[in-house]
Amino acid sequence: MVLSLLAFLVSLLVPLSSSAQQSDRDPYLTQLIDQAKQEKLADQREWHLLLHYQKGIFGGYESEQDDPGFFMSTTGKTDPAAELAETLAQFFSAELVGRSRQPAQCAFIARYQWLKEQLKFDPIRLPPLACERFDRWYNDFEADSISLIFPSAFLNNPASMFGHTLFRVDQKGQTEQTRILAYTINFAADVPPGAGLAYPIRGIFGSYKGYFSTIPYYLNVQKYRDIENRDIWEYRLNLTETQLRRFLMHAWELGNAYFDYFFFKENCSYHILALLDYADPNLHLTDEFLLWTVPADTVRLIVSKPDLVSNITYRPSRSTVIKRKREFLSGEERDLAHRITQDLTELNAPLFAGLNPPRQAFVLDLASDYLRYRIDTTNSPKPEWKERNREVLKTRSQLRIPSEEFTVRPFAKQPELGHKMFRAALGGGWRNNDTFEEATFRGGYHDLLDPEIGYTPDAQIEMASITVRHYNRADQTRVERATLLNLVSLSPIDAVFHAPSWKLNIGMNTIRHNDCQLCSNGFFNSGIGGAKELRLLKREVLFAFAEAEANVSGAYDELHRIGGGGTIGMLADITERWKMMATGSYLKFPLGDKSDDFRWYVGSRFTVARNWTVRLEYNHRGHDNDVLFSVQAFF
Amino acid sequence: MSKKALVFSIAVLFGAQAGLAMASNPDTGPGCGLGKLAWGEYKGQKEIAPQVFQATTNGTFGSQTFGISSGTSGCTHDGKIMGEHKTTMFASLNFEALSAEMAQGQGEHLTSLATLMGVPADRHAEFFAMTQERYTSLVQAGEASPVALVKSLNDAIAGHPVLAQASVR
Repeated sequence: MVLSLLAFLVSLLVPLSSSAQQSDRDPYLTQLIDQAKQEKLADQREWHLLLHYQKGIFGGYESEQDDPGFFMSTTGKTDPAAELAETLAQFFSAELVGRSRQPAQCAFIARYQWLKEQLKFDPIRLPPLACERFDRWYNDFEADSISLIFPSAFLNNPASMFGHTLFRVDQKGQTEQTRILAYTINFAADVPPGAGLAYPIRGIFGSYKGYFSTIPYYLNVQKYRDIENRDIWEYRLNLTETQLRRFLMHAWELGNAYFDYFFFKENCSYHILALLDYADPNLHLTDEFLLWTVPADTVRLIVSKPDLVSNITYRPSRSTVIKRKREFLSGEERDLAHRITQDLTELNAPLFAGLNPPRQAFVLDLASDYLRYRIDTTNSPKPEWKERNREVLKTRSQLRIPSEEFTVRPFAKQPELGHKMFRAALGGGWRNNDTFEEATFRGGYHDLLDPEIGYTPDAQIEMASITVRHYNRADQTRVERATLLNLVSLSPIDAVFHAPSWKLNIGMNTIRHNDCQLCSNGFFNSGIGGAKELRLLKREVLFAFAEAEANVSGAYDELHRIGGGGTIGMLADITERWKMMATGSYLKFPLGDKSDDFRWYVGSRFTVARNWTVRLEYNHRGHDNDVLFSVQAFF
Repeated sequence: MSKKALVFSIAVLFGAQAGLAMASNPDTGPGCGLGKLAWGEYKGQKEIAPQVFQATTNGTFGSQTFGISSGTSGCTHDGKIMGEHKTTMFASLNFEALSAEMAQGQGEHLTSLATLMGVPADRHAEFFAMTQERYTSLVQAGEASPVALVKSLNDAIAGHPVLAQASVR
C-alpha cells in the first residue's frame, strides 16, 4: 500500500523534472526514462551485474569496470541511474561508442536486450539496429555450452602459482577429439614481456590493465600442457540456451573494455565469474569473494552449485604423461626409451628389435614425448633434439599401426576435492621448561604437511599466517610467529626431469639467544637444491638445500646476523591419512652476531576429515626445544 | 632459425592470403590479436603462436573488441579467425603436434585437422593411415609452409580412392 502510494508520488514528480531538463528530447525517450524510474530498473541486480556495480562501504555504488568507454554517462562509474538514462538515450542514436566503435545498441547488446524486455521498446519509435559484427562473432562460436577450464598451479612462475581459470565455448558437434578447436574466453593482465618481479608487486596494487580475449583452445593447451606442463581440468557447465546467449552477449560487451587487474581479488578468476553471474543471476558467485579470489576456490564454488557441472574431464600435462608412461614400462624398456632420445643407433639394437610392434610404438612415442618436452621447456633447445625427434617419428610412421589409447591417471586429484583455503588451529605444548597454549590463523594456502588431495604435489605456498601463544610459567602472551610468505617447491629429479627445488621464507619467530628468553626474530631465508622421490613405504621425497639466511632481533649483538648453510629432509606418506616430515639444518652466521644454529624438525599430520587435521610437531632451534600438538580446521 | 624469420614467414603467409579474403569478407580485420598474453618470455619455436596472436602493448586498440594486434591478417576485428584461414592457421600453429600425431596414426590435433578439412568422422581412420604412410613428404611440405602442408594433404585426399569420394570440400 505504502509502496504503491510512493510509486504514484514518484510518477507525479519525475516527468516534471526530466521534461524540464530536456525539451528537445525525443518524447519517447522521455517516456522510457520515466518508465525506468518508476520500475526502479537502476536499482535492480540485473543492471548492477551488467555494469559491474558494487555497493561501497559508505553506501552508493561504484563499478569495478575502469574503462571510461564502458559507460555512456560521464558519471556512469558511480551513478547507476544516470548511466541507465544516458544508455537509453544512446539507443536512439547510431553514433559509434565504446572502444570497439559500434552503435550503443550493438556495443552494449546485453544492456539493450535487457532494457528492451523490461521496457517493451516500441520498434517504430525506437527502431532496432542490425548488429552484423556481433552476429558474425556470435555465430562463429557455434556455441553449444560453456566449460570452465582450470590449469592447475605452477609454482615456478609467480603469475600461475595459484592456478588459473578460463572458459571454453564448446561448439555444436564437438567431440573429445575436436574440443581443441573451440574458442576460449580468458581474462588476463596485460603484462609487458620480461616484467619479472615487477609482476607480483604491480599486480597486487592493480597497476596493470586486464583484458578479455578469445584465443582458440589449442593455443591454451599448447601453453599450459606442453610448455608449462600443468595438468588441466575441464568442467562442462549446464547452461540453458537463454543463459548461454546472455553469457556471450555480456562477454561481447566486456571485449570493449578493461578492468584494473588486482592479483588477489579482481583477477582472472573473479572477472570470469561475473560472466556466469550474469548468465544466471541466481548463482551469486562473485558475492562470495571479499578479499581474494583463488582459482581453486572458484572451482570449488562452481562445483558446489547443484547441477551446474555436468561433466569433468582431465587433460594431463606432458610431464604427467611421460611419468605415467615410464611407470607402465619395465625398467629395461624405460631405459631403452631414454637411450633412444640420446642415441638413435639404439633403434637398431636387438633389445628394440625384440619388442612386438605395439610395444615398439609405445617406446617410440615416449621417446618423442620426451624430446618434445626438452624442446618446449628449454630456452635454447639443441638443434639435434629436433632432428632426433624427426627421426624417431619417421621410424614410428613406418610401423603403420595407430598408437593405442593410454589412459593417464592424475598425480593430484581435482581441486574441488582439496581442503579449503583458510586455516585456523588451536594447540598446546611445552617449550624449554614452560607450557603454552596457542592459536593460529593462516590466510592461505597449502603447506607440505597439509592434506595433499587436490593440490600440486610437493609444493607449498603459505602466506599471511599469525600465531599468538600464551606461556603459562612466564605468564606472557605474545605473537609467537608470523609468516609473510613461505614457499617451497620440491621437484623430484630422475633420468628425465632435472628441475631444481627451491624455497623462500619471510617472517618472524620467537627465539632464545644470549640472555634473551623469548625474543622476536625477523628472518629471511632462501635456498636452492634438489629432491629425489622414493617408494619404500608409500611415497617419500628426500630433499637437500643450500641456503642463505638473514636475522634481525634484539637478542643479537649488532641486532642482526647473516649467514648460510644447508638443510636435508624427507617428506613421507605413511598411509592415506598420515604424513610425516623431518628436516635437519646447520647454519653458520659469520656476519653480525657470530653464531651458529643446529635445527631439527619432526612433524606428523593425521587427516581426520577433508577439512580437519591434527598435528604433532617437535622443533629444535639453537637453544630451544618446542613440542606442539594442534588441531587444524580449514574453512 | 631466428624467430624473426619464422614470424615473418607467417606474416607473409597470412598477409598474402588476406588479399584474396578481402574481396569476400567485409571484415578485413587487423589480425589475430586474440590475446593479451604474456608469452614474451618464451624463446624460439614456441614464440610463433604468441607472435601471431600477440597484442601490442602501446594502447592503440583501434576499433576492435577482442582483436588487439599487430599486423598479421587472417582474423576479424573481433578476434575470430576468418573461415578460409582456419585450416592453415591451425596447421601452422600446431605443426609439431601434428607431425607427431601423423607418425602415430592418431591424436586430437590430427582429428581436428581432418574435421577442419571436411573429412567425415567415419573416414578418419583412412585419413590417419594415409598421413602415417606419407609422413616424410608431409612433414617436408609442412616445414616449407603450412599452406604447402594443407595443399599436400588436399592432393593426397584427392588421389585417395576412399577419401576422395567421402570428403565434402
